[in-house]
Amino acid sequence: MTQYTVINKRAPRLDAPDKSTGRAKYVDDMTLPGMLFGALLQSPLAHARILNIDVSKAKRLPGVKAVVTAEDAGLIKYGVSPARYDETLFCHEKVRYVGDEIAAVAAVDLETALEAISLIKVDYEELPAVFTPEEAMAQGAPVIHEEYPGNVCAEVHQEFGDVEAAFQDCDLIRTDRFVNKRQDAAFLEPNGCIADYDRFGNLTLYTSTQVPHYVQRTVAMVLKLPVGRVRVIKPYVGGGFGPKAAANPMELAACLLSKKIGRPVKMNYSREQVFLFSRARHQFVHTLTTGVKKDGTIMALKNECYLEGGAYASFGIATVYYAGSLLAAPYRLANMKYDGYRVYTNKPACGAQRGHGGVAARAAWEQQLDAIAEELGMDPIEFRLKNVMSAGDITCNDLNMSSFGMKDCIEAVKKGSGWSEKKGKMPKGKGIGMACGFFVSGAGYPIYRSDTYHATVTVKLSEDGGTATVYTGAAEIGQGSDTTMALIAAEALGVRYEDVRVASGDTEYGIDLGAYSSRTTLMTGHATKEAAESVKRQVLQVLGDRLKVPVDQMDIKNGYIVFKGETPDFSSIRTAYIKEHRGWTDNPDEEPLTFREAARLAYLEKGTIVGTGKYKPGKLGGKYKGAAVGTSPAYGCSAQVAEVSVDMETGKVSVERVTDAHDCGFAINRTSVEGQMEGSVSMGLGEALLEEVKFDEKGNILNANLAEYKIPTCLDMPNVKSLIVESNEPNGPFGAKEVGEGAIMPTIPAILNAVYDAIGVRINELPLTPERVYMAIRRKKGKQ
Amino acid sequence: MLLPKFDYHEPLSVDEACQIMSDLGEKAKPLAGGTDLIVNMKKKILSPEHLVALSRIEDLRKIELLNGSVRIGACVTAAELAESQEIKRGLGALGQGAGILGSPLIRNLATVAGNLVSARPAADLPPPLMAYGAEVVLKSRRGERTLPLETFFQGPGQTLLEIDEILTEIIIQRPPESAGAGYIKLGTRKALEISLVNVAAYVALDSSGTTIEAARVVLGAVAPTPLRSPSAEKLLIGEKVDPSLFEKAGQAAAKDSRPIDDFRGSAQYRRDMVAVLTRRALNMALEQARRA
Ligand SMILES: Cc1cc2nc3c(=O)[nH]c(=O)nc-3n(C[C@H](O)[C@H](O)[C@H](O)COP(=O)(O)OP(=O)(O)OC[C@H]3O[C@@H](n4cnc5c(N)ncnc54)[C@H](O)[C@@H]3O)c2cc1C
Repeated sequence: MTQYTVINKRAPRLDAPDKSTGRAKYVDDMTLPGMLFGALLQSPLAHARILNIDVSKAKRLPGVKAVVTAEDAGLIKYGVSPARYDETLFCHEKVRYVGDEIAAVAAVDLETALEAISLIKVDYEELPAVFTPEEAMAQGAPVIHEEYPGNVCAEVHQEFGDVEAAFQDCDLIRTDRFVNKRQDAAFLEPNGCIADYDRFGNLTLYTSTQVPHYVQRTVAMVLKLPVGRVRVIKPYVGGGFGPKAAANPMELAACLLSKKIGRPVKMNYSREQVFLFSRARHQFVHTLTTGVKKDGTIMALKNECYLEGGAYASFGIATVYYAGSLLAAPYRLANMKYDGYRVYTNKPACGAQRGHGGVAARAAWEQQLDAIAEELGMDPIEFRLKNVMSAGDITCNDLNMSSFGMKDCIEAVKKGSGWSEKKGKMPKGKGIGMACGFFVSGAGYPIYRSDTYHATVTVKLSEDGGTATVYTGAAEIGQGSDTTMALIAAEALGVRYEDVRVASGDTEYGIDLGAYSSRTTLMTGHATKEAAESVKRQVLQVLGDRLKVPVDQMDIKNGYIVFKGETPDFSSIRTAYIKEHRGWTDNPDEEPLTFREAARLAYLEKGTIVGTGKYKPGKLGGKYKGAAVGTSPAYGCSAQVAEVSVDMETGKVSVERVTDAHDCGFAINRTSVEGQMEGSVSMGLGEALLEEVKFDEKGNILNANLAEYKIPTCLDMPNVKSLIVESNEPNGPFGAKEVGEGAIMPTIPAILNAVYDAIGVRINELPLTPERVYMAIRRKKGKQ
Repeated sequence: MLLPKFDYHEPLSVDEACQIMSDLGEKAKPLAGGTDLIVNMKKKILSPEHLVALSRIEDLRKIELLNGSVRIGACVTAAELAESQEIKRGLGALGQGAGILGSPLIRNLATVAGNLVSARPAADLPPPLMAYGAEVVLKSRRGERTLPLETFFQGPGQTLLEIDEILTEIIIQRPPESAGAGYIKLGTRKALEISLVNVAAYVALDSSGTTIEAARVVLGAVAPTPLRSPSAEKLLIGEKVDPSLFEKAGQAAAKDSRPIDDFRGSAQYRRDMVAVLTRRALNMALEQARRA
């Protein structure tokens, strides 16, 4: 195995000093000279025709600089997927959910802006509203978008193999219906932004986003500005998890206001507005039918799914595809049929959230597989091991598992959790359960159809030779991508981690599609590695010319030049370097030739040394409709064992221990990999036990705050034993692939299966609140 | 979520505070930890023109023992209650309630008087305080009065506190050695939780240690105010301790409860949980009573 000097160890994060001392600057910490404050007017009704908007009073309020509505913004349609651009910056004829944006104001301070908002008078004609897929799809239901008369935003019908024929050969066929709940991503930092349109026609948008690149394009398109005039800068971001993976109306409104007034405009979402904007996990209703042979071979899966989408498409087309395609692994499955419907309702739009589209499907299926294993009299782990795919397998829907440590993950959690000693031997009220999952390591295609690179990176050496800076558009949103890129650059270049700086999250630094679909380590990592290697080659070339040593006889490691043969006489280089640095206290003396000296020499010969790297995956996937969704250059996979204790009298579930194994290909930074694994468990645990966005009968959110929308506290978090599995992904930089989202896949079903083990009854609806668990126990008692 | 504008007063004594309250009447509200009031002001549910901060009045921050009673100053925080030795000794259920109120950040600010005057049906301190038979002292320019806490609550957010009054202290008669109490809160997560149901129970045993001489069962979050369960208490008093007795008391308490369906949970679940929690709280109380 290759000996690495920087990666695969435990590196402190680049942002740790800033974040742990409170110095990290988030967008709300920023102030620009002359900055104004903006606010939004949002609909109080779930579905209504707008008869009239009167902004005259608001405009007259002293301190107000501009009031904008659809009249100013125009009616350019935008959204996430170009196939479903269904939003305009401001509503014109109708509002479609409580929270739909109608107008925006900029004023000298926030108080004034909010007061102006309250002075805008809108006359509505209320329309009947629909809040569930059943209501929305019913005959004669009110239509939310004229273009979609049946309120179906997108539907998918796929069949691979022949499911009905395969069912004929099955010994056991089981059907289950499963429901999760609409989520909020509950990131710490509410979205915020500052738009700054200058006198030269350049727009700079500082914003809390996962995707500077897509925001740049959307802003340019909606405001009719050349893309080259729009710069998006992402300061530190306090989490995203999906809802920040596209432009939001607040960003567009701030840009419009700043363009109109010529001064910077700051806007923030309150926590309630974060809930109203939503774009987090959909509610999925899955009906799964699985057929198996007596020996446990999985033969076929029929999957029908309805997604409650909310008022706009957002990521929904991709979501409805993912809810089908992401069941094609990690088990060998020749026959799979999927019918998916994403339905418009008069609620906030749902979008993408960690484990996009696959989390509810995975929970549903892994629980069903557990039930099947039980019916077959097989241990759930043995059952899964019998069916798992291995590296090189291709799924029935043409996804290529180029590396796949699924079996290793299962064996790791089996051993790590003490499964064999515990399963079937726990007292009533205690249970153990396991589940598996897999996920893409970067979407195979950009959101808009394009041959664009997914990442371009520049590495530049400082002219003194001492440091290398990585310039990337990649979005550090707390997941640690800056640290990862620094480590990759340091390793590829041969310098120390401390000698690399990272400038990121700015559209000026290159193309990067952003932090979504668990893509950054693999994709930006490739580009960073290539750029760093280019720099290394350039330095060694100059050095080789000077010393008359072939480049392939030299290397750079840990900041020193390594000569494979005899060390040539480099004293002239050193003497020149020391002469240039008279008075410096850190000049090299007895030591081998340093990178610094070589890099300085390269600069003196060639000028500033810059290397560039780029990445895009090759052609991926099959030819059928929707084949692109689910493709990826690589797939991560994981297995988890959860141990729970259930209070049989109150129904309260406590997750006591989780053993988690994840195949990330190769760990660039072991600490970051474990961090993602633990974070996934916490998020999955919340979704399994606590989280649900609740509405009243008029479409108002009842719990649009973090007191009533409950995410786990540190006391609810179990100890997590994280086991890293490395399968050396051929398509990944240094063999690395994802851990960001795949790690959440097994959490919910592992908990579901453990709760079943504890109480003896299956629950097919999330979250497992004490009441839901108690009622299930009671129903079971009633039956006995 | 901006605060409305208000004037801020910082009296140094109770008298001064009463004077301000008397002068300003309806326009003013006392401010203790602010964990309830400031939140409501940000939500624009309340917008008093004046806030009268009580935080600099030293007299309101003490826990004192006086002739067999414990006097808890209005501004004693939940964190202080949870850690106080005086409370741990003999008033353990109150310490338990204070120790699971909110989160560490909230406990450092939240005061006992704020918890009572905000009068939330699910609040954590009224049930244990009522189980100990606490009284509240209300003071104004017009004079001082002492009320049993259980008469103080009138409905969600409503108490007998008059506009110009300040709650200055809570008085609890120290329970006898042969008594014990327990408090349990049920929520969906382990911290920062609004009770779905909470129950405090108090029992005092006779000299033989086998018969229940006095009992109080208080139910939270199952009625507009914290509620004593007369049926459960009646069932317990004068009876010999045995496991089925507590089971029956739990059932009786469930019948006395008046829960509603809301988005946090159903009335049926809450009622069922009253039975479970009552039995458990009684067991805690008994265990403590026997330890003495
Ligand atoms: C995140 C969060 C979590 C919470 N969790 C819980 C919980 O788990 N359990 C729980 O019970 N509560 C909880 N609360 C509610 C609140 O923290 C408590 O009720 C707290 O005890 C209120 O005390 P305070 O000192 O902050 O009151 P304040 O907000 O200062 O005042 C509340 C009310 O009481 C009045 N008041 C205060 N002191 C006096 C006085 N001496 N005389 C007359 N009137 C007075 C005020 O005018 C105001 O109307 C929570 C609140 C938050 C924000």
